[in-house]
Amino acid sequence: MKFKSHTQRVAMPFVVFMTLASAADADTILRRANDLSFGGSESLDPISATRFYEVNDLIYSRLIRQDETGRPAPELAQSWTANETATEWTLTLQPGVTFHDGSAFDAADVQFTLERVKDPALESPVTDVLGLIEAVDVIDPMTAKIRLSTPHAGLPLLLMDYRVRMLPEGAAAPFGVGTGPFMLDSYDPESTTILNANTAYWEGAPKLDRIEFTAIPDSEARNQAMLGGQIDYNGLTRDQEPLYTGNTDFTVQSYPAGGWFGIAFQSNQPPLDDPRIRKALRIAVDRAEMLALMSGEGNGIVSCDTPVMASDPFRANLDCPQDIAGAKALLAEAGYPDGIDIEVFTADLEPGMVQYAEVYQQQVAEAGIRVKLTVAPSDGYWDDIWLKKNAVTSWGQRPADQFLNEAYRSGAAWNESHFASAAFDTLLDQARSTLDLEKARSLYVQAQEILFNEGGTLIAYQENGRRVMSSRVTGIAPQDEDHIRWHLVGMTP
Amino acid sequence: MAAALLERLGLALVTMIIIVVVVFFALELMPGDACSVNLGRGASDSMLAACQKRLGLDQPPLWRFAAWAGDILTGDLGISMQRERPIAEIVGWRLRNTLILAGVTAAIGIPLALGLGVLAGLNPDGPLDMTISGIAIFAMTVPEFISGTLMILLFSVILGWAAGVVTIGYKAPALDLLKASILPAATLIFILAAHILRMVRASVIEVMQSDFVQMARLKGVPRRRMILHHVVPNTLLPAISIIGLTMAWLLGGVVIVESVFNFPGLGRLAVDAVADQDLPLVQAIALLFGFIYVLTNLGADLLALTLNPRLRARRR
Repeated sequence: MKFKSHTQRVAMPFVVFMTLASAADADTILRRANDLSFGGSESLDPISATRFYEVNDLIYSRLIRQDETGRPAPELAQSWTANETATEWTLTLQPGVTFHDGSAFDAADVQFTLERVKDPALESPVTDVLGLIEAVDVIDPMTAKIRLSTPHAGLPLLLMDYRVRMLPEGAAAPFGVGTGPFMLDSYDPESTTILNANTAYWEGAPKLDRIEFTAIPDSEARNQAMLGGQIDYNGLTRDQEPLYTGNTDFTVQSYPAGGWFGIAFQSNQPPLDDPRIRKALRIAVDRAEMLALMSGEGNGIVSCDTPVMASDPFRANLDCPQDIAGAKALLAEAGYPDGIDIEVFTADLEPGMVQYAEVYQQQVAEAGIRVKLTVAPSDGYWDDIWLKKNAVTSWGQRPADQFLNEAYRSGAAWNESHFASAAFDTLLDQARSTLDLEKARSLYVQAQEILFNEGGTLIAYQENGRRVMSSRVTGIAPQDEDHIRWHLVGMTP
Repeated sequence: MAAALLERLGLALVTMIIIVVVVFFALELMPGDACSVNLGRGASDSMLAACQKRLGLDQPPLWRFAAWAGDILTGDLGISMQRERPIAEIVGWRLRNTLILAGVTAAIGIPLALGLGVLAGLNPDGPLDMTISGIAIFAMTVPEFISGTLMILLFSVILGWAAGVVTIGYKAPALDLLKASILPAATLIFILAAHILRMVRASVIEVMQSDFVQMARLKGVPRRRMILHHVVPNTLLPAISIIGLTMAWLLGGVVIVESVFNFPGLGRLAVDAVADQDLPLVQAIALLFGFIYVLTNLGADLLALTLNPRLRARRR
């Protein structure tokens, strides 16, 4: 089947219906879809629970961003230093940066942006990440000092969070003024949002003239819009990928990402309070086969029960092939020579959540692990099953420190396997106060080794993200959206 | 006549009251409430309690039902949880858009179905009938999400004649939406016309074999005049109720077709509201669909009543 290119189609009749393609020819416009994941309550406040992050990425800037290897690199902060105890961080800011309204960016804006994260009235989820910031002092217009309530050597990594974006001092709803490469022209998440190039952008004027977002909530409809040349950039599911392979009108990219499914075994309930049994339940899995079955060969990276993504500098890259004999031995040692019966719950909440448990059930059967699989109703799954039963779980990417503290520290609210290890907690504390990146890395790796040996959560792999673009789009490398430098993105005619 | 009318109106009213009760208590039976469902995994106890207090979910169900039903009587559909705006305002635009889509579908689909049905019925089992009926049966068996996707593939991706997916917003001018509704309406017409024309065809065949047509034929009434004056009026009556039912079916069809084409109408909003776990909005849309269904059927019945002297007489 031959798909016509965009330019060919413009010459056809009915062109009047192409509402978005009709603008002046000279403008280069990148058309994207908004999946309306917040149902129209998409917010331009970067730290809102319903942040419109695709737009916020374009109109605001961070202090610190990640380089190609995932390490902290300067953005609006030129450089940073910490005191010896990692409780005070001094940031030197990039001079000559202006907001879209023409006002200059300075330390007072940093103070305003970071201190409002703690405002209880905002109920911002970013409080979980940056709640440790006690106050920000303005030393001089280009120097800000961040004071922490507890030591944290990884503050630069926390500031890389995609939501920690600089607002002008005193900014209030509806927001929309930033220092980013694009400026808000019109904003309506439920129909069309238009962004124009910020020609005064401090890293250079963007190559694109405009970026437009059209609300298309249905995944299949977005796919049809992509195939029909109505949008130029879209996320892609595994099932949709074959529609584009071999078609020169499109570029398909698969890039490392940090999302995963897992099974959280309840470590506080007998017989799973025995770490040997927990390990047996996990090492009996053929992770590479599971990844190939669930996500397709090469579309992800095997994980030895670490939640940390491949591009994170603190990830532990262990080796964990399927070990049926080892699992049997551990079970026998723990008093189950004839195998063990385990109940696992899942729900059809996201594509793959049920299949994940089914593949698990098949793979571990050989080790004498008999899984009783229950597909629970989707409604109420997170309330009634998750945190209470052995349950399939789903997470999006987070930096290593945040992940390990949020999901595994003893007593943490989202510690879904009720894992408790004093040694693990101590390693996290030590890592947080270790300013040397390499030393900190070895501490985080040790903590992840504890998870592999004693933990309660099976994580077989992290799945890659996928995107499809018009082949006219240039300047986007196969990396996640946090890495895209939008002012360098262009469109060939 | 008046008694029949009153009886029919009363019946419609009772049905609508039942719909109000069922919609409310069906959602009541679901696990969780509007707040726990909407806030989901990240809900803290204090957030949940604040939300329940704001929506009055801490009150007993019967009391809440009374309050909700009372609000509906005054035209107040409540506040959307996700969009944090009055539901009436959100639904209003989408209702207009869906009515545009349904209007285009009916305006083209119904005359098309009547014409094709009469043509097929006049020459039963002839080549024309075989073609029309064959396509109709095909159209009836292919689900909308397949025919819609095929339409996009053919007319947008391959031929490039029309934009496949609707990319204009819900507040766009009616004329723009009219243009945008061509492919979605074509998908709906495909199925709607098939159902109606099958019915009309059967009805024409029946009328053609009736005594009065035989009589007219024997008296030497010209075929053209006989068809227009005797056959068509008599096939229209049974067609009206099937048209009413099919238009009501259209409501279910728009949910799927609007999602496939990203058409900013009530059907897509229903899917979005379910996906967003916005229960007050789901409730309001379910109610609206129920009311439209009842009103469409009521309209068809009343039309049949006015057009058919026998129906009026029998009720007296």
